[in-house]
Amino acid sequence: MKKLLSILIAALMMVGIMSVASAEVAIDVFQLKVEIDPMLQEFVKLYSEETEGVTVTAETLGGGADYGGAIKAKLAADQMPVIYMIEGAGGYDLWKDYIADMSTCAWVADTDLAYYSPEGKPVGFPIAMEGFGLGYNADILAAAEIDPATLTTFSAVKAAFEKLDGMKADLGLDSVVSCGTSSSGGLWWVTSQHVFNAYYAGYLDYNDSSVHDNCLAGVVDTERLTAFATYLGLLYQYSDPEILINGNYDAQVAAFAAGKAAFITQGNWIDPNMAQLGAEFPMGYISHCYLEEPTQGLFMAAPSWFVVNSQATPEQQAAAFAFLDYMATTEAGANYMVNEAGMVPAFKSVTQLPSGQFSKALVEASARGGNYNWYFGQNPDGFNQYTLGPIFELYGVDNDLDAFVADVTAAFASIVE
Amino acid sequence: MKRRGWVDALFIFPCALAFVMVIIFPFFIGIYYSMTNWDGVNPAISWVGLANFTGMFSQPQFLYSFMVTLLYTAINIVLVNVVGFLLSLLATSKARLRNLYRAGFFVPNLIGGIVLGYIWQFLFNNVLLNVGQSLGIGFLSSSLISKPNTVIWAMSFVNTWQYAGYIMMIYVASIQSISDSIMDAASVDGANYFKRISKILIPMMANAFTITIFLTLTTSFKQFDLNFSLTNGGPAMRFMGKAIRSSQLLAMDIYSTANGLNRMAEAQAKAVVFFILLVVFSLVQVYINKRREVEA
Amino acid sequence: MRQGKTLQAPAIAGKRNGKTGAIVLETFGFLLFLLFMTPFLIVLLNSAKTAREIIYSPIALPENWALIFTNIKTIFDNPSTDYIGAFIDSAIITVLSLAVISLFSAMCAWALVRNKKKWATVIFMAFVAAMVIPFQVVMFPLVRWFKIVGDTIRIPLLGTYHGIVFAYLGFGCSMSVFILHGFIKNIPLELEEAATIDGCSQTRTFFNVVLPLLQPTFITVLILNGIWIWNDFLLPLLILGSNGRVQTIPLAVTSFAGSYLKQWDLILTSALLAMLPIIVLFIFAQRYIIKGMVEGSIK
Repeated sequence: MKKLLSILIAALMMVGIMSVASAEVAIDVFQLKVEIDPMLQEFVKLYSEETEGVTVTAETLGGGADYGGAIKAKLAADQMPVIYMIEGAGGYDLWKDYIADMSTCAWVADTDLAYYSPEGKPVGFPIAMEGFGLGYNADILAAAEIDPATLTTFSAVKAAFEKLDGMKADLGLDSVVSCGTSSSGGLWWVTSQHVFNAYYAGYLDYNDSSVHDNCLAGVVDTERLTAFATYLGLLYQYSDPEILINGNYDAQVAAFAAGKAAFITQGNWIDPNMAQLGAEFPMGYISHCYLEEPTQGLFMAAPSWFVVNSQATPEQQAAAFAFLDYMATTEAGANYMVNEAGMVPAFKSVTQLPSGQFSKALVEASARGGNYNWYFGQNPDGFNQYTLGPIFELYGVDNDLDAFVADVTAAFASIVE
Repeated sequence: MKRRGWVDALFIFPCALAFVMVIIFPFFIGIYYSMTNWDGVNPAISWVGLANFTGMFSQPQFLYSFMVTLLYTAINIVLVNVVGFLLSLLATSKARLRNLYRAGFFVPNLIGGIVLGYIWQFLFNNVLLNVGQSLGIGFLSSSLISKPNTVIWAMSFVNTWQYAGYIMMIYVASIQSISDSIMDAASVDGANYFKRISKILIPMMANAFTITIFLTLTTSFKQFDLNFSLTNGGPAMRFMGKAIRSSQLLAMDIYSTANGLNRMAEAQAKAVVFFILLVVFSLVQVYINKRREVEA
Repeated sequence: MRQGKTLQAPAIAGKRNGKTGAIVLETFGFLLFLLFMTPFLIVLLNSAKTAREIIYSPIALPENWALIFTNIKTIFDNPSTDYIGAFIDSAIITVLSLAVISLFSAMCAWALVRNKKKWATVIFMAFVAAMVIPFQVVMFPLVRWFKIVGDTIRIPLLGTYHGIVFAYLGFGCSMSVFILHGFIKNIPLELEEAATIDGCSQTRTFFNVVLPLLQPTFITVLILNGIWIWNDFLLPLLILGSNGRVQTIPLAVTSFAGSYLKQWDLILTSALLAMLPIIVLFIFAQRYIIKGMVEGSIK
């Protein structure tokens, strides 16, 4: 028995030692977009084969498991990745001691969407440009004789919703809009982040953050918020309550893809799902119009950035810079971002166009100009999900506009407390 | 027999070492962190006293999580034990396939909470909805995990489905340790089935009930995996004038505070309170049940 | 400890259950069994569908059962989820942890039962009390603490097999000691005394006399800990990290569920794959497992 014990302990030591391996210059990428994981894996393999002495590995955190917590665990475990993601100011503030300055990189000159530190240093590599508005099914609008180009004001959108609602049976619709807002369905972010971004950024210049700055200072513009709440209430009113209160991403996207809803509150990331679900009808975006001032602007930004760990070895950091440059500035990198991963690249030199219709709509809107930034990523950690999320969900249930406005006002006031 | 203390100490050492290193030290480090402004990243930590503790009791979300966890625990103590007991009667009955049943009821217990949560989310949101709509069953035509008044029951249902089979096993063991002759004697005396169960079987199983109630109490109170992957805390409701998440049990509230809101020290303080509550409830339960056992 | 009548029906069912009663019992039992099995059936059905079929018709029979192999192939071919590797790692971690937990817990429990000193009672109470310490309370301090200890003794505990096995010993031993303690209490002291008279040392008495008697309880300990360790998600995530070096099955399964979208075809198929080994094991070892559970659980 004692012998057995010593063998066991020896075996334990062995596997322990074996599991601590090392390589030449090895860098790792840690990210959370499960949908692009296979393509990224192929890309890092290609890069490692082509680049002497450098091995890049990529790892994706799935499971809706929380990314911030996972990096914290990695840091504690001394496995801090060389390249990882931040999603805005909250992430930057938390990780600023682990974020390298990338001023020397070639990609910086090729984009407007880099993340800049408060000191004005480019530190974040924009992973992709993403965007959203209110997506529409052009066939359904045509059947109802509505020209999407005219849907630029609140009253025009409202009239269109009413008209479509009256023709639901003829058009085969379950509801006018496909929108979801529940946390159990995992859709809290649709309204409390994306749609609500229209309040922060809509009708303002791309770099005008004044409305959001006021929010962070605890002050909301009641008139603007009430107009937004009226618009949100309209979206809710014409949504399928099943999807609104229960639905998950699949249900929301499937309803639109199957032609059961004329509009959808989702961004261009649903393009691959549209292909998967066989939706081939023409589609496009209108803005989130909650005022009477006409607008066609879409909400576009780089929502997440790759940053390089400044506490990695200088060799690793140099290898990471070279890898990111390769992704942004070479044909192979463009091919990965656009054709393989189906993303809208954030780099001007990339001329290839993604195949998805919503992504194309973003590229067109980008050329047209007059678009709006994203600000929700700058809210405090967890604020969108845990504070605004329930408020937006509750509004979907009780339709109480005054309570919604009061709740949102109180929520922002609580930030500065 | 002469016992050597140092041999005993040596025998205890491996477990005690692991126990101290894995639970005790981190536990006390955690208590220390609960009185600091620790955020999990920044190495500069400063002492804040009891500020993290006083803050939590004015948070509607924490108070609701506390109440709903008590409710969930109470529901599950009853539901899991009643179902487990009925299953154990079936598994020890004369039913032909009783061995198959026993195995079948136990199988859900083999699967992990994260995987089960995904499966049941799919069942509630896709399958049951589909069934409810095609058969026109109003009760099922909206997802049971989407309403504050049904979500706790839906979670309890899943937990019972998973856990009752395990509890059943404990009851089966207890039933089988009761001599046949006692039951036969009662049968000859003319006691009917229900009388035999209530007057003889249940009192003789008092010991088993102490264990199963303890197990269901602690596992329900600590529920996390299923909560995380099945409901993720939703749906929203209004409590004390604030919009909050209606199925966020305490363990998940701690997790959300740490990882979602990034307030690690406050989460640690909640965890300490959580621990104290669990100890108190467990001790009270075991005390009451042990007294019952003695009386019976 | 009772032997001999474990798997037969005891007499509570009585003798007066007439034919109707029997039919009701059989029907009720079978329906309940079906209810318990339905979720598994639905996972199986949907593992043989495309994402599109799953969303539009989750309860229909699959059009083409062969699709299950396509889905499995997609999962196996996925470069970031080395499923076979995860399976092997899960097996190594589970087996090593179980070996360590059962041996050391038995030693510990025996010493605590037989030693009548006050400190033994105190230690036992500490183990019992710790059973209610929720994982959430210690998880983040634990990772930090493991890092400090690993640096001090120059043997990394994080990201290694021995580190996670050690953690499982720490988390698993309190419950196991509790169960074994209850069992050992009922072993007549005379057996051990006889061995001592025959000249056995205390250590040999344990390994030669006590350990063999514990076999049925070991099965309980193995089942309870085995199910937990095989399915555990958070501890591997924290101790091993979610990256490729050492990965377990639950980590592999969740990699198909994104933060925004859920690939149900792959999630359900990988859930099926994750359940399969443990269910197959259960089916083959069922009699043994149930017997062990039944004999060992109430102590």
